[in-house]
Amino acid sequence: MSEVIQRDTMLSYITGSVESSAESVAIRAINERGREDLEKTPFPTRKDEDWRFVDLKSITKSQFCKLEEANAAAVGDISEHYLPEAMNCRLVFVNGVYNEELSSVEDLPNNVIVGNLAANADNNSVKEHLGTITNYDDDVFAPFNDAAFTDGAFIYVPEETVVRTPIHILNVFTDAEKAFYATPRLLYVGEMFSKSTIIEEHIGLADNQYLNVPVTEFKMFTGSNVHHARIQRDSKKASHVSRPIAILDKNAEYHSYTICLGAKLFRNDPRVIQNAEEVNFTVDGLVLIDGDQIADTHSIMDHRFAHAGSHQLHKVVVNDSAHSVFNGKIFVAKDAQKIDSFQENRNLLLSENGKVNTKPQLEIFADDVLCSHGATIGQLQDEEVFYLQSRGLTEQKSRELLVYAFALESVESMEVESVEKLLLNEVIEYTNRDEK
Amino acid sequence: MLEIKNLHASVEGEDIEILKGVNLKVNAGEIHAIMGPNGSGKSTLAKVVSGHPEYEVTEGEILFNGEGITELDADERAHMGLFLAFQYPVEVPGITNKTLLREAYNTIARANDREELDPLEFEDYITEKLDVIEMKDQFLSRSINTGFSGGEKKKNEIFQMAVLNPVLSFLDETDSGLDIDALKVVSEGVNKIANDKNAIVMITHYQRLLNYIKPDHVHVMMGGKLIKSGGFELAEELEANGYDALEKELVLNGEAQ
Repeated sequence: MSEVIQRDTMLSYITGSVESSAESVAIRAINERGREDLEKTPFPTRKDEDWRFVDLKSITKSQFCKLEEANAAAVGDISEHYLPEAMNCRLVFVNGVYNEELSSVEDLPNNVIVGNLAANADNNSVKEHLGTITNYDDDVFAPFNDAAFTDGAFIYVPEETVVRTPIHILNVFTDAEKAFYATPRLLYVGEMFSKSTIIEEHIGLADNQYLNVPVTEFKMFTGSNVHHARIQRDSKKASHVSRPIAILDKNAEYHSYTICLGAKLFRNDPRVIQNAEEVNFTVDGLVLIDGDQIADTHSIMDHRFAHAGSHQLHKVVVNDSAHSVFNGKIFVAKDAQKIDSFQENRNLLLSENGKVNTKPQLEIFADDVLCSHGATIGQLQDEEVFYLQSRGLTEQKSRELLVYAFALESVESMEVESVEKLLLNEVIEYTNRDEK
Repeated sequence: MLEIKNLHASVEGEDIEILKGVNLKVNAGEIHAIMGPNGSGKSTLAKVVSGHPEYEVTEGEILFNGEGITELDADERAHMGLFLAFQYPVEVPGITNKTLLREAYNTIARANDREELDPLEFEDYITEKLDVIEMKDQFLSRSINTGFSGGEKKKNEIFQMAVLNPVLSFLDETDSGLDIDALKVVSEGVNKIANDKNAIVMITHYQRLLNYIKPDHVHVMMGGKLIKSGGFELAEELEANGYDALEKELVLNGEAQ
């Protein structure tokens, strides 16, 4: 008899059991499925191809408890984080728990739903789509969210309806005595020819350690259109592992922009799956990291039918001994002709100890497609700095302006003015930290 | 205004001397031309005077209005009124001409205790300066030199010079790559900027720029030194006989190394 080597599972780093307390039968069923997946799936190590560049010790060297056991601080005034454009269209989750008092949803078009999942558990769209879109094989994080979530955000936009106000999903995390885990969840259902803008934010209010494992599911019916901005400003000690996925019917458009500023460890696996012909999508990213931050993006753009246009611009600035990983997969199935897909990964290294791994991965089985990719890693050119300096700008200001210019393109895609402003301030703050 | 005394300079960290004892004096109201073959050190001289970190001054000094500036950073020299029009202007995608120039103008103003201009005032000021190089105002909102033609890049350098209003400008091969129309516009721009309070040092390989901007003094640079100075007739002589003839003549006279 051979001895079976028992590998750790996700549950090895979780104290206590992940027992479901969800009231909804539908959610409990997903919890159950998640637990089964978790028990049989080993926790990744660097021997796994998808994890070989990532140091996971900020998770494996810790134990994370349920929020109830963490003695977390109450949330104070967080109004500085509200978006003026979305004053009446905001859902707030504190440490992953829905906070009705801080949320505000008013004046939405008829039949649009912006609310929490638990309260909408009987909604047909929730019953039909929740938990059906995530599709991460051999993964432990999506199943962990599946196993542990009891609530989340639910957005439903009916046919032919345009929501002009951006919808703000604000996840904040407070200080706590113990490291805890949170499993934010978002289900978006866009019916035929609907349109909206979603701003999904994760903000660490203190400097504490926690594990944030969000799952977002976007079901995009024919002709629907979404602009999805994700801004990650978790605590610098937090670990954030994201599983955002979208599935697109005919003529649907899904444009996502992920901004990574916070967290000690950030791992993001955005996936867009084409479910019919003629779709358009974007999977952009902007990463600004320093200190010993790790930011890893493993994306999949999955073209399964003909006539898709897709685009990915992933920009990264690395300072100090921070480490960025990018693995961009573009799949084109055998009969998915006339695909026009473009991927670009641009990295700016500001320090000697910073590290960048980049790997474009194109797997194309159709023969009439236009797919291209490019990856660059560079530093600020001395000649550029001198040019600006010779015009009177200080060296610091010159460097700041050049990093700002590098990041600008990504920030300008936000479409919501206050978010652009917020991000530009973050960029300036980031470049100023370089002053030391 | 500018006095360069026995200036020696090498590439930082390397032992190769490029400037081997340059002496030059420039007074207010003067236009100088430094001519010379490729590799004689002309561009290096311009970069060393403007404070390029790639070069190290190993001997001699640069006095600007009586003050030694070799230890100052490029931006500090710019604050004193030094300007370099680049031979190869750098492209900076994402930053508009206007953004750079307002930042530059106000930084220089602050350093000199002059009043800064707010965005509206600056808009008026800068729009006026567009006439100097006959450019349209879209030029202001384009990213610095990004996608510019060779001629537009050189015009942009002169435009920046007009906006920043420097005391002493080095124009490094501003004529290279310009067609005859662009050369005229650029030259007229420089002539409009030149007055009796500022000074200009043009660096060029050819005489053709000097037909449009008349220098008061012409210097010939070879082997890292200014080996001969004179008036406009020196430029004509060079154009007629070439640098080789001059070199031979100096060797015969025992003046060259």
